[in-house]
Amino acid sequence: MASSLLHPPLHLPPTVALQLSQQAPALLQSTPSSISPYSVSSIWSAAESAELWTIYENLMVSCLRTGDEPSAHLCLQRLTARFGADNERLMALRGVFQEATAKDDAALKTVLEEYEKIIAADPSNMPVTKRRIALLRTLQKPTEAIGALNQLLESSPTDAEAWAELSDLYLSQGMYSQAAFALEEVLLITPNAWNMHARLGEVLYVAASSNEGGADKNLSESMRRFCRSVELCDDYLRGYYGLKLTTKRLLKDLATNSRQSKSETGLPAPDRKTVERLNELATAKLSEIVRRNLNGEKGWTGYEKADIIAAQELLNRDATPIIR
Amino acid sequence: MTWISKSITGLGLVFLAHACYSAHEHSALLSGSAAAISSLTAQTAPVTAALPLDISIETIVAVFTICLGLVLGTPELRPIQWRVWAGKIEREGEYGFMNGDGEVDKDFVGNPFRVLESRPGFVDIRKQRKEFAEWVREGGNGQAPKS
Repeated sequence: MASSLLHPPLHLPPTVALQLSQQAPALLQSTPSSISPYSVSSIWSAAESAELWTIYENLMVSCLRTGDEPSAHLCLQRLTARFGADNERLMALRGVFQEATAKDDAALKTVLEEYEKIIAADPSNMPVTKRRIALLRTLQKPTEAIGALNQLLESSPTDAEAWAELSDLYLSQGMYSQAAFALEEVLLITPNAWNMHARLGEVLYVAASSNEGGADKNLSESMRRFCRSVELCDDYLRGYYGLKLTTKRLLKDLATNSRQSKSETGLPAPDRKTVERLNELATAKLSEIVRRNLNGEKGWTGYEKADIIAAQELLNRDATPIIR
Repeated sequence: MTWISKSITGLGLVFLAHACYSAHEHSALLSGSAAAISSLTAQTAPVTAALPLDISIETIVAVFTICLGLVLGTPELRPIQWRVWAGKIEREGEYGFMNGDGEVDKDFVGNPFRVLESRPGFVDIRKQRKEFAEWVREGGNGQAPKS
C-alpha cells in the first residue's frame, strides 16, 4: 500500500484519499519523529530512505484534502526538521498548508503577499512562483494567473507542467486556440505522452463544437490527435472514445455538406472512406474493451469504472437507431 | 511453473556434483596406481590421464540442464515496445505489475505523464478540500466525481 504513497495523490478518487489519510496516524507513529545521523541502528540499516520524504510529502497533501490537519502539520514539521525552512520545495509546501487552513479570502491574500515577498527576494524560486499562480487561480483571478504563467514560461520554456497548466487556464477562459497551442508545446517536450495527445484532441473537439471559425479543420485535427494517442497506447479507452466521437461528427458533416472545404494551411481534410473505417475500428475496440472489462477478464480490469460506463453509454446511443 | 524449473535446476546440479566427484575419484585412483607403478619400475614418466568419455558427457549434460532450468525460471519479460507497455498500464492498472506476493513492484509508476494532468506543482488544495467535503456529504461511498 505504501507504494501508492510514492506518487502524487491528486488524481486519486476520494475513497483512496480517505484510505491514505486514515493510515497517516499509524504511519507517523511507526516512523521515528526525528532521524539522527548517528544512531546505533544506523550501523546495520540505513537511517533514512529517499522514499520516506516522498511519502511524507504525499501524505501531507492527502491529509489536507481530507481535513486531517494535525497529521499534515506533523508531516510538515518533520520535513522542515530534515530539510530546513528555507528549502524552496518546503516553502511551497508550507504555502499549500497555509492555503488549505486559511479561514477566508483575507487570510489567502496574506498568503499571497508572503509568496510575493519570497519571490521578490529570490525570483528564481520556481516552486513558490508556481504556488503563487495556483493561488491567483484559487482567488478567481485567471487573467493575472495567465500573465504570471506566461512570464514563468518565458524564463523556463521547457516546463511541461507549466505549459499544461497554461492550457488548462486558457481552456477555462474559453480561449481554445491558445489552449491548443499550449498543449502543442507540451507535446514538443513530451512527444510520447499518449494522454496529452488525447487531451489535445479533446480541446480541439470542444473548439470545433463551439462554432468558432475553422470547425472543420479543428475536427479533423482532433481526429488525427486521437489517432496518434491510440497509436502510442494499445487499447486506450480515452483515445478510442474520442476517435469515435470525432469520426461520428465528421461523417455527419461530410454527409450534410458534400463540398470539401479546402483549408489553405495544414493537411487536407480526410476522405470519407478513411473516416468510416476509423469509426468502425473505434466502435469495435470500444465494445471489446467494455465487454472484456465487464466480464472481469484477467488483464482488463485496470480501467476506471466511470470511463467504462461512459463508453457503454456512447455505444448504446450509437446502437439504438440501428435497432429501430 | 516455478517448481518445474527448480526441479530441473536441482537435477542438473546433482548431475554436476556427481560428475565432479567422479572426476576427482578417477584422478585420485589413477595417480595412486601410477605412483605404485612408478615406485615399482622407477620410471619418471608424467602421468597424463584423460578423463573417461562418460564423465565429460555427464558434465556437459549437467551444465545444459542447469541452463535450461534457469531459463525456464525467469520472470515474465516486460514489454519493450512503447505502445504495448503503455497499453499494459492502461488495461491492467497496477494489477499488471504485481509480483508473486501480491505487492506492486517498487518501480511501478503507472502512467508517467499523468502528472501533466494532475500537476502537483499547481495543486488547488482548497478546491480539492471542497470536493472531498461534498463527496463526504453525499454519503461518501458513491461514484467518485470526475476531477
